[in-house]
Amino acid sequence: MALNGRNAGNANGDAERDPQLDRLYREAAREAPPAHLDAPILAAARRDAGARPRSLTSTLRRWHVPVSIAAVVIVSVSLVILVREEDGEQIVPAVAPPAEQPAAPSAQPALADAAREATQPQPAAPAPQRRDSREDAGAPAVLGKLADSARPESGPPAPSGVAAVATPAPAAKPSPPPFVAAPPRVAEERGAPVAADTVTAGRLAGAPVPPGEPPAARSAADVPPAKAMARAMAAKAAEQDRPPVWEGLEKEPPEKWLARIEELRRQGRAAEAEEMLSEFKRRFPKLPQP
Amino acid sequence: MGGGAESTDEELMLLYRDGDAGAFDALYARHKGGLYRYLLRQCRQAAAAEELFQDVWMSLIRARAGYSVQAKFTTYLYRLAHNRLIDHYRKNSHVAMVSFDEEDREAIADPPDERERPRDETLDAKRQAGRLMELIAGLPEAQREAFLLQQEGGMSVEEIAQATGVTRETAKSRLRYAMVKLRQGMLGWR
Repeated sequence: MALNGRNAGNANGDAERDPQLDRLYREAAREAPPAHLDAPILAAARRDAGARPRSLTSTLRRWHVPVSIAAVVIVSVSLVILVREEDGEQIVPAVAPPAEQPAAPSAQPALADAAREATQPQPAAPAPQRRDSREDAGAPAVLGKLADSARPESGPPAPSGVAAVATPAPAAKPSPPPFVAAPPRVAEERGAPVAADTVTAGRLAGAPVPPGEPPAARSAADVPPAKAMARAMAAKAAEQDRPPVWEGLEKEPPEKWLARIEELRRQGRAAEAEEMLSEFKRRFPKLPQP
Repeated sequence: MGGGAESTDEELMLLYRDGDAGAFDALYARHKGGLYRYLLRQCRQAAAAEELFQDVWMSLIRARAGYSVQAKFTTYLYRLAHNRLIDHYRKNSHVAMVSFDEEDREAIADPPDERERPRDETLDAKRQAGRLMELIAGLPEAQREAFLLQQEGGMSVEEIAQATGVTRETAKSRLRYAMVKLRQGMLGWR
């Protein structure tokens, strides 16, 4: 048995094993620690494990993965909600302006004007890109809908003032007719006297709702303050984005301007009438003022 | 809790570190025999081996909170045992861990004792086992330790080197010389 020779040729230390020696050793070495040693050691182990609070590091290590997953989920959901809300708010201002003119009580002649305006290019009225594309895409079809919605009895009950406008309704999505759902309420809003707007603004600020109010109007006051504030901001943005009251009359003769101013006054829209009158003075300074 | 039979030593120790006493029970059951035999063969006295045995496990318990997996658990456990043994040797003025050069010369100078070789070919396993134990007891401490760590701890050369605080080459040489002596001593006995 060339033990030394075989051994000397072993380059790998892990090969330093002899199966026969291993077997012999396993058979020979059977001693075990006395049983009386077990109890104190195990008791000490239990005492130590139970007495000492877990270290902060080990606790953090244990909760590391679940907390990370929860954080990712929360952040993702928050982002999705925020993005969706922002989408809704951006769509609303784009929806509001087309409803403005046809919303007047004498809606039928105004609708005819609006139809003419929609089919003609209007270089003088710069508007956001998004709104333009929507108007171009859906103007003819929407005008028909607007004509229907301008009649108070024909439209479905309006959900609630600004709440309905700010909520990202399915109809407000980019696909066909994007603002069909919103116009009825918007038309109401624009067509109503200024006092009505003031009431709506009061609601948004959290003012109590009079008991006689219809449920649709009351629901705006039911929204939480933060949401109401967000919607108020959206409404304000929409207001700022709306086209001037004289939009479409830029190339019309002064008589049309005066007729429009008179019409606004009859409707009780004094502020808009004043605004238009100022513009009239600026454009036609040599004409006698009404 | 306590970890199942499929849990590794390291997983059990981590569980114990986190407060699971049952995991320690499982670890203890796995390694108490090997550790005890390692200590018993190294210090050769049952009473001392029992004392060292308890000390090693208590050291492990005390080190529980700071444990992290940096090596195999057996390497960690037997390193504790190795350190405790060295303390024991120092305390008892024992000349331990002879130098590696001495081991080499000893291995070359000590051919198998032909007079001890039995002539009876029908030796039973018990007598073979007894012979092997004698040979193991006759090994220098460092070589014996390397052999015991391989047998009882199931360690590789690298792990033996880690547990005993020496280089891989040193551990490998110790193990090799131990095996040479044991094989030579068992010639004719198997």
